[in-house]
Amino acid sequence: MRLSYKWLSEYVDLHDISPEVLAEKMTTAGLEVEGIEPVASATNLVIGEVMSCEEIPGTHLHDTVVRTGEGDENLHRIVCGAPNVRTGLKVIAALPGAKLPGLTIQARPVHGHESNGMLCALFELGVDKKFLNENQIEGIEELPEDAPVGETEVLSYLGLDDTILDVSLTPNRADCSSMWNMAKEVGAILNRKVTWPDYAGRSDIGEKGTFRFESRTEKCPLFFGKVVNHVKVGPSPKWMVDYLHAAGMNSINNVVDISNFVMLETGQPLHYYDLAKLPSHEITVVDDRDTKIMALDGVEFDIRKGDILITTGGEATGVAGIMGGEESMIDENTQGIVIEAAHFDQASVRRTSIRLNLITEAAQRFTKGVEPLSCRKGVDRSVQLLMEYADASGFEATEIAGKEAWEPVVITETLEHCNALLGTSFTMDQVCDVLRRLDFSPEVNGTSVTCHIPSYRTDLERPADIDEEIIRMIGFDSLNATLPVMETTVGTLSVPQKIRRTTREVMNGMDLHEIVTYTLVSDHHIQKAFRPAGKAVALAMPMSEARKYVRTSLLNSVLEVVQYNEAHSNTDAGYFELSKVYSEEGEQERLAILLDGTLQKDVLHHQGVRGDFYALKGILLTWLAKLGYGEARVQVKPCSEKDDAFHPYRSAELWLDQTCLGVFGDLHPDVLKEYDLKQGVYAEMILDPIFAAKAGRVKFEALDRFPSVNRDIALVVAQEITAKQLLDVIRKSGRRLVRSCEVFDVYEGEHIEKGMKSVALRIVYQAPDHTLREEEVTEAHDEILAALDSKLHAKLRG
Amino acid sequence: MSDVMEQVLAEARAAIENAADLDGLNHVRIQFLGKKGSVQALMAQMKNLSREEKPAFGQKVNELKGEVSRRIEEKQKELAELGQKARMASEKIDITLPGDCMELGTIHPLIMIQQQLEDLFLGMGYKVAEGPEVEQDYYNFELANIPKDHPARDMQDTFYIDPNTLLRTHTTAMQMRELEKAEGQLPIKLICPGKVYRRDDDDATHSHQFMQCEGLVVGEHITLADLKGTLEYMASAMFGSGRKVRFRPSYFPFTEPSVEVDVSCPFCNGKGCSVCKGSGWIEILGAGMVHPHVLEMNGFDSEKCSGFAFGVGLERVAMLKYGIDDIRNFYTNDLRFLKTFNRFD
Repeated sequence: MRLSYKWLSEYVDLHDISPEVLAEKMTTAGLEVEGIEPVASATNLVIGEVMSCEEIPGTHLHDTVVRTGEGDENLHRIVCGAPNVRTGLKVIAALPGAKLPGLTIQARPVHGHESNGMLCALFELGVDKKFLNENQIEGIEELPEDAPVGETEVLSYLGLDDTILDVSLTPNRADCSSMWNMAKEVGAILNRKVTWPDYAGRSDIGEKGTFRFESRTEKCPLFFGKVVNHVKVGPSPKWMVDYLHAAGMNSINNVVDISNFVMLETGQPLHYYDLAKLPSHEITVVDDRDTKIMALDGVEFDIRKGDILITTGGEATGVAGIMGGEESMIDENTQGIVIEAAHFDQASVRRTSIRLNLITEAAQRFTKGVEPLSCRKGVDRSVQLLMEYADASGFEATEIAGKEAWEPVVITETLEHCNALLGTSFTMDQVCDVLRRLDFSPEVNGTSVTCHIPSYRTDLERPADIDEEIIRMIGFDSLNATLPVMETTVGTLSVPQKIRRTTREVMNGMDLHEIVTYTLVSDHHIQKAFRPAGKAVALAMPMSEARKYVRTSLLNSVLEVVQYNEAHSNTDAGYFELSKVYSEEGEQERLAILLDGTLQKDVLHHQGVRGDFYALKGILLTWLAKLGYGEARVQVKPCSEKDDAFHPYRSAELWLDQTCLGVFGDLHPDVLKEYDLKQGVYAEMILDPIFAAKAGRVKFEALDRFPSVNRDIALVVAQEITAKQLLDVIRKSGRRLVRSCEVFDVYEGEHIEKGMKSVALRIVYQAPDHTLREEEVTEAHDEILAALDSKLHAKLRG
Repeated sequence: MSDVMEQVLAEARAAIENAADLDGLNHVRIQFLGKKGSVQALMAQMKNLSREEKPAFGQKVNELKGEVSRRIEEKQKELAELGQKARMASEKIDITLPGDCMELGTIHPLIMIQQQLEDLFLGMGYKVAEGPEVEQDYYNFELANIPKDHPARDMQDTFYIDPNTLLRTHTTAMQMRELEKAEGQLPIKLICPGKVYRRDDDDATHSHQFMQCEGLVVGEHITLADLKGTLEYMASAMFGSGRKVRFRPSYFPFTEPSVEVDVSCPFCNGKGCSVCKGSGWIEILGAGMVHPHVLEMNGFDSEKCSGFAFGVGLERVAMLKYGIDDIRNFYTNDLRFLKTFNRFD
């Protein structure tokens, strides 16, 4: 809100309070002042009269002599480029040394002509061009003929000696967007008397007329209508124009200006209709029409059932609380008017104004809420100002459709409760002082105090609201800093929270970097999702195609990050993301891992972890082991479905118990190509089954006391025989004595028949209760070799 | 000892002394102590001696043998030491070459801040609550005292999926779920970190997706002063000890009184600098006493209990703490940016 310091000072004495001090005090009390701007700023100005004015040949300039007082010393030669400069014109002269916004005036020759200053247009003093007409922008300001030559308080003469405070009002304090209510608030903050104009009852004049007002919707519970048969349309008084400008509004004519000015004063949006232009002496408010309406600015709008509509003679003439119709607008020929001051449903006005994209001043005020008594204030003040500044007469009695419903709000709070909630030790005197300043007429009864809330403070309903008023007025600096005294509680992480933390630790230990990417993704992401959580849900009103759906998988988000990093030469890295995904079936939590190139890359020592299928498998199994899911419960299986994201022969599913967690492996060449990648292995795992599963606990087993025997063998088998098949046979056949078994080499090529491979394994034999004898080992070993041969046609390499 | 013996000893001493390496010393050993060595030769002379002379002579030769052996051993030790020293000298390495690559990954800075806050509040007995990001209107707005058509839930601000489903606009939704779940049981002490979403165009200071962490305490006799103390504790833990907090009146639909919270600037200690724009204070979070209506809607007796709530933006904290000037950095995930956060903090 733009708050005029000068206007405010009409109600509250501010002579010893600068705008800066005021801003500080308001901010401390909850009315945050975000900026302080003078309406105009210029020094060393003086009002002058152009005594002579001659064109400078070949230029658009004039050589002028300007008189700013008696005597030769007050004659100034000034070169002026404005088209409207002429002899006899009263002007604003900025003399050498004058400081204008962004400009300091100096005496210097222009095109060889002496020039000792500048003749000014208002925008050169800082006035916003939107308040100026074309002539005022093209040329210098033309002062009235009676402007006092030699006057140096030029800004004051122009009514521009004002400062605008940019106040950010919180939604609960919409009342302060009324100047009168703002004055009350400032008065309370400064503990000073506030004087409103004596307006009350001014509309109680006129005989009952024939004009009828009616509301046929509960969305318009109150409608004040008043016919004024005679007004004289003309220019507004200068002070009113200045205040309208200060508030950011333009001046139209005295009648329209009064409607706006009263709205700014009281907070009640008003609408004045041209009486003669209304086809029928009747206004009815309805909300059951599907129609079109031409608004003041000539644009046509679709009206739907539910929108509140002002009609006359059955025709729509305005969108209630938002905008008036064009056909009944006030113009210079208007002779008589109808005043409308009404209450319209906050929510309905809000919906309509958003739908029509008509965010007018009135609509904003109705949307934020107007106070119960504002209609009467608005009509009273309108009548007062119309009589004074528009020669209004021929008043008919005010017609009221609906009922003025104001139940005075009374709130009782106790000193104990107030101090208990705030953690303070205020006294009743302190509390009452605040409540009096706020015009709450406090009545003390023992340790409780009863407040009578003014009509405009619609934000106050409960004792806690009173407590807030007290602390913000006394100041939060009075508050101690304590910690809650209460029952002891245990702070602990839940199982999923612990799992997430452990996951991050494991991934960090593996040289993987955590990323966080956007939840909202494009249609393309959804189409290319990896095993989507379900059917994707779209936003009702997306901001862009790129952020339209809630993602169903992490795949493409992660790929985009890697694509970005590769493009910025950030190569050889591992990434992971922990995030929720969503679909019509609900939320899921997932872990994505992507290895791009070599991890722990060590050029000097020719070392590193190749970011391939096996590296990823190792990471995943170590991760699950760390979470408490050992080999026995974890399985790597061939993919059960076709996953477009993965290389079909270099990917696998990871299972925990009976649940598939996800897939890992080489990315499909098409995917790599799409994201400009040369390589990449990826895993996407669903975490929810892990959260639900029971993790294995740490359990100590006695250390082996008897020595083990190693036997290394090299087997030649068909290529399609997997390591797991070999290991399974070995473990099964030798389960009594085989302690462990691992593959330590796989070889294909020279000396090995085509279609075959050589697999080298180390079998470790050990007994828990005795030292193995040679013949025992040999017996077991021979059994294993026989089983390998019979089951898998695996022969010892000769 | 006879002259001959003296001479052998002298020769042995010289030979040992002159042995340049272990091989040479071995030669000396053979030369003097070997089967055909000088000492053995002396032994051989014994058979020419009388029975009376034999023991004394034998003892002397043994003494000589012992002496030579001892000296050879000494020399051997000395040579071994020298040899090892020389070998080690030849093994000298360039200690300035880099160590093997043994890198750790990094945790995303927003998660780092989240974990710091979690640990801080876990230590004070808070629990860490969770809730869905795709949320019902009811929890995001209705229970938070933001009824239908309240300006705070403008379509401009909220990503709706359908009239009752939305992307949560604040972590307050989790507070409401927890309050409801508690069924009036006191005390409640929790924080709820998480992602939230608002209709904002992404630029240096705005992001349509960001992270918040809110805190909620409800119990008997919880005061606004307790909120101030708790936030001072949090601010000191996050930004360095001795932080002060300042409350300014504000408005949130779910708290009353509501406050904006400033923290004394950690960069200038409140003296005024470019970060705090000379004010000595940095606006960092919003807070207040839980609105009685919110307590009542969730089944608590607002006469018998009270509570405070606060909410902080994790991006804001991280940006201040680490001097990050563009919020988009958090979501671009440039590896160089991520690797900045490679240390304990």
